[in-house]
Amino acid sequence: MLWFTGIICALVIVIGPVYLLLKYSVSDINSINTGGNPVPMWPYNPTLQAYVYLFSDSHFYQVLLNSVVISLFTIALGMILGIPASYVLGRYKLPGRKVLLLMIISVRLFPDIASVIPVVEFFIKIGMHQTYLGVILAHTLLALPYIIFIGAGAFESIPDDLEGQAIILGANRFQTFFKLLFPLAMPGLAAAAIYTFLLSWDEFIFSYFLMLGKQEIYTLTLYLNGIKYAEPQNLLAAISVCLSIPVIAFSFMVQKYMVAGISAGSVK
Amino acid sequence: MADVVIRSLFKKYGNHRVIENLNLEIHDGEFVTLLGPSGCGKTTLLRMIAGLEPIDNGELFINGKLYNHIPPQKRSLAMVFQSYALFPHMTVRKNICFGMKIKKLSKSEMDRKFEWVINLLRLKELENRLPREISGGQRQRVALARSLVLDPEVLLLDEPLSNLDAALRETASEELKRIHRQLGKTIIYVTHNQVEAMTMSERIALFRFGRIEQYDKPRVLYDSPATVFSAEFIGSPKMNFYEGEIEIRNNVAGIKTDLAFLKLDKEREKTIFSMPGRKILAGIRPQTVYYTGHLLRRRYTDTEVEILAELVENMGDRSLVVGRTEAGTLIRFIITREEKIDQDKRMKIFIDGRRIHVFDPITQLNIFR
Repeated sequence: MLWFTGIICALVIVIGPVYLLLKYSVSDINSINTGGNPVPMWPYNPTLQAYVYLFSDSHFYQVLLNSVVISLFTIALGMILGIPASYVLGRYKLPGRKVLLLMIISVRLFPDIASVIPVVEFFIKIGMHQTYLGVILAHTLLALPYIIFIGAGAFESIPDDLEGQAIILGANRFQTFFKLLFPLAMPGLAAAAIYTFLLSWDEFIFSYFLMLGKQEIYTLTLYLNGIKYAEPQNLLAAISVCLSIPVIAFSFMVQKYMVAGISAGSVK
Repeated sequence: MADVVIRSLFKKYGNHRVIENLNLEIHDGEFVTLLGPSGCGKTTLLRMIAGLEPIDNGELFINGKLYNHIPPQKRSLAMVFQSYALFPHMTVRKNICFGMKIKKLSKSEMDRKFEWVINLLRLKELENRLPREISGGQRQRVALARSLVLDPEVLLLDEPLSNLDAALRETASEELKRIHRQLGKTIIYVTHNQVEAMTMSERIALFRFGRIEQYDKPRVLYDSPATVFSAEFIGSPKMNFYEGEIEIRNNVAGIKTDLAFLKLDKEREKTIFSMPGRKILAGIRPQTVYYTGHLLRRRYTDTEVEILAELVENMGDRSLVVGRTEAGTLIRFIITREEKIDQDKRMKIFIDGRRIHVFDPITQLNIFR
């Protein structure tokens, strides 16, 4: 019984906010400004007018596209830089390997709000602020330590015997990497990609300082920030739903690569 | 097919010497087992032959060619790992064809070899399964198949049977022998299981602390162990050992031990006649002790001992008896199932003097080799 209650509580905590978000996004004005009456559990007259308004705003399309482009390029760049690094850190017994990994991850120990000033200062100096590339680079900077950390773990967990066997069967380093190690590290790398997408899609602080004043390259989070005081809340809720859906969709897409126990049956 | 020659090989991990001045010659087409307790360097040697571990010092020749600096990809040998190391994301077919694809064999040749090997190793109908979907015995055969299709000159096997259960292990070992007979490849086989080594190999290299203790045919290893370690390691149950010294009684030389005054065969008796007083370690295999109840013609070389059967362990087809003499010395021996011995029974046993092993307690060497 206690167990059952626990599940109910957990569901309420997880589903509750999502429900509120959805509810507000389809609320009519009278269900928000109730004039002292309690806010209803479900709007009196559910309406999609917030979405209609949102999708009629051409800036919103621009912003949506910006977010997609920036996050996809962040994933691409992060993977291009992160996979070789994690391969080396995961597969080679380099001296000081653990220290190096620790140093890489410790970059993220600073609060974003503390590191954003020097980074943006530097980006301004090299003329990278208010550009797509600048934002992509900044997001890559944030994601890379995690990609390397997760990726190195994925490469490290592949049994040495498999690599030895591939070499004895005649495979060179490249063939061993592309035919064996990369496919086997795929679940970990997919997890890193999901993480990178989430990070870039949700990122606010760096985007804010780097893009401020240049509306053409705004991402969804900045767009949301720009109308945060706008009434009624149904528009905000609709934007939030639009922020969430791609994240969920992307996670589902990549999930098929995250097969648990992919290496089962390889050794022993 | 090829012969393998190893000359004064050394290998160190940090300060730990894994292999020390090792010499080994393996003939073309021979089935040689590297046998020894775990951590004795046998797997390291195998990995050095395969090229996965660099050679610190010494020479490795295959077919007369120096192999020290040839990268593992270019060595025409194959290895089956203890873990089988099947590629988990590839089907059985892709696993088996992996090496052939890398060597860029033509499609028709690849198909021909694949057909040949799945028939040889009974892998039909498994070709589209993943490694996790097949049994342990099948995985072992896939690993072997993957090596055999490359037609290696030398086949290295690292404890390929140790992950199988007892029944499967027997079938698999018979199969390995059959394949060796059929293909005539040089096989180097690593195991810590003396039964596997004895039944399968043509010669056994017995390892101890990175050195070869003895390198001989299985029968020779069993019948005349060169050292105390060989004598102890080979044979089950373990050999009985007694410290003693050479003594001459009634003009006959023998070994005085706590168990009895042990007589030897005539030829060896002559030899030890000239060394009275010499300290000896005598080894008696449990299988060379006979029981009086069993009507045997006694030989003059037999030593008679009276014991009390303290413990009788039934092993099915035979029993292990632990006997104690009046003086308290223990002896372990085997009786067949036809001979029945009750526990706590007094009895007489005979030790076959022709098959007593005589070692020097200091050098640990067999003095008759």
